[in-house]
Amino acid sequence: MIDNLALALSHGLLILAAWRLLSRPDLDDPDIAAPAPPEPKKKSFLKAAAPDA
Amino acid sequence: MRDLGFVLYLAALIGLGFKRPFLLVLAFAYIDIVQPQRLSYYLLNSVQISMIVAAMAFGAWLLFDTKKGARFAPRQAMMLILLLYAWVTTQYADFPVEAQDKWNWASKAMIWAIFLPLTLRTRLRIEAYLLFMVLSASAIFIVGGIKTAMSGGGYGQQIFMLNDNTGLYEGSTGSTFAIAIIPLILWFCRHGTIFPPDWRVKLFSANLIFACLLIPVGTAARTGMLCIAAVAGLVMRDMKRRVGYAVLVCAVGVAAVPLLPKDFTARFDTIAGYQSDGSATTRLAIWAWTWNYAQSHPFGGGFDAYRSSEIKVETKAVEGSGGVASVQAKTQDDKSRAYHSSYFEMLGEQGFPGFFLFLAIHLGGLIRMEVLRRRFKKAEGEDAWISPLATALQHAHIVYLIGSLFVGIAFQPFAYLLVAVQIGLDNTVSAKVREKKPIVLKPAPAAA
Repeated sequence: MIDNLALALSHGLLILAAWRLLSRPDLDDPDIAAPAPPEPKKKSFLKAAAPDA
Repeated sequence: MRDLGFVLYLAALIGLGFKRPFLLVLAFAYIDIVQPQRLSYYLLNSVQISMIVAAMAFGAWLLFDTKKGARFAPRQAMMLILLLYAWVTTQYADFPVEAQDKWNWASKAMIWAIFLPLTLRTRLRIEAYLLFMVLSASAIFIVGGIKTAMSGGGYGQQIFMLNDNTGLYEGSTGSTFAIAIIPLILWFCRHGTIFPPDWRVKLFSANLIFACLLIPVGTAARTGMLCIAAVAGLVMRDMKRRVGYAVLVCAVGVAAVPLLPKDFTARFDTIAGYQSDGSATTRLAIWAWTWNYAQSHPFGGGFDAYRSSEIKVETKAVEGSGGVASVQAKTQDDKSRAYHSSYFEMLGEQGFPGFFLFLAIHLGGLIRMEVLRRRFKKAEGEDAWISPLATALQHAHIVYLIGSLFVGIAFQPFAYLLVAVQIGLDNTVSAKVREKKPIVLKPAPAAA
C-alpha cells in the first residue's frame, strides 16, 4: 500500500515533468532564456484594489 | 500488475524520448536510481533494460544532438584515467571473479558519468536531470520515511521497497544520499522552472525533506546523523538570521530525541563509547589493515581486495550492577571485513594512484563549485540560479564525502551523477562566459 502510494506519487511527478519538457524550447537551445518566475505577490487583493494614497 | 505498470510506464517515458531525445538520458537516470527491473517480478527482469536505454540515449545524442561547444573537462579526463586504471587492477586482482563483478557495475557508472556532461549543455537540461535524480530517489525515500514514521525502523529492519543491498536501497548508502539531496530540494523551492515554486512544490518539498531526515533514523545509520549535522551547518552559510536558525535547529534536535526509537538512541550512544561497540572497533581495525595492505600493495589489490583481510577486534564492555562495575575485554578474530569507508576502499582496491585520483575528482568538484558560487553570487535575473545551484551541488557533495568517511560508497553511481552534473553546470556557464553573454549583476548598494 505504502509502496504503491510512493511509487504512484513519484512516478506521476516524473512523467508530468517529462511532459512539461516537451513544450520547452530552451531544453535544447541554450540561447533561449527560461521563462521568468512569477512575480511574488506583495500586495493583498484588498490593498491592490485600493487607490494609492 | 505492477510489472505491467512498469513496462507501460517505461514505454511512455521512452516514447516521449522519440519526441525530445534528451528525455532518453532522463529515462536512464530513472532506471539507474529506481531500478524498476528489480522491483518487478518477471517482465523487466528478463531484459537488460538499463543497457538498452543507455544505448538509446547515447545513440540519440550521437545522431541528433548538437556537439557545438562540447568540451571534455579535466575531471572527465580524470574519471577516464581512473576507469582505465581500475580496468588494469581488475586484470591482476586478488579475487578475480569478485573483482569482475564489481567492475561490471562500477565501470558502467563511470562511463555514464564521463558521457553525461556532454549532454548537459543548457540550464533546463541540468535542472531536468537533477529533478529526475531527486524524484527518482523520492520513490525510495518516501516509502522509507513513511515506514519509519509508522514503525520506527531499526538496524537491519526493512524500510525500503527492496530488501537488497544495492544502490540507494542499502541502509547507510540510502541515509547518506537521502541527506545529500536536501540542498538540491531546497534549490528547487527557489529556482525550479519545470515545477515553478508555488505552495504545492513547497508542500511536497517539505514532506520529502522530512522523509529524507527520517531515513537515517529508520536504518539506524549513525553516519546519516553526521550528514544531517553537516547539512544543518552548511545551510547557515547563506543565511541572514543565523543565530535564530541555530537556536531553532538545536531546539528541534532536542525536542526530537524523546521521539526517536530506543534502538536508534542506543546505537547512537555507541559513538561516544565506541570501545564497547564491535562495529566501530572493527572499522578501526580494518582501516589499520588496509593501511598496512597499501604499504605492501601500493598499486592496489583490485576490487574487493578486502576479502583477504584478517583482523583482531578488541572490545571493552562495562558490566556489573550497583556500585561494582568490571571492564570485560574481549578479542575476536574477524575475516573478510568490508572497508566501511570510501577512502580506504580506494586505497585498498586502487592503491595510492586510485586514491589520489578519487581525491582530485571530488575535491576538484568542491573547488569548482566554490568558484562558480562566488563568481555569480551577485548575479541577478536569468543568471540568479547559478550561484545557488553551485552551492547546493557543493553541499550535496560535502555530505557525500562525509558519509564516505564511514561507508564504502566510492563507486556509487549516484555520487558519479552528482560529479557529472557539476561538470555540466561548469561547462554550460563557461560556454556562456566564453560567448560573452552579459551576466546580469545586482547594482552595488549605495553608500550610506
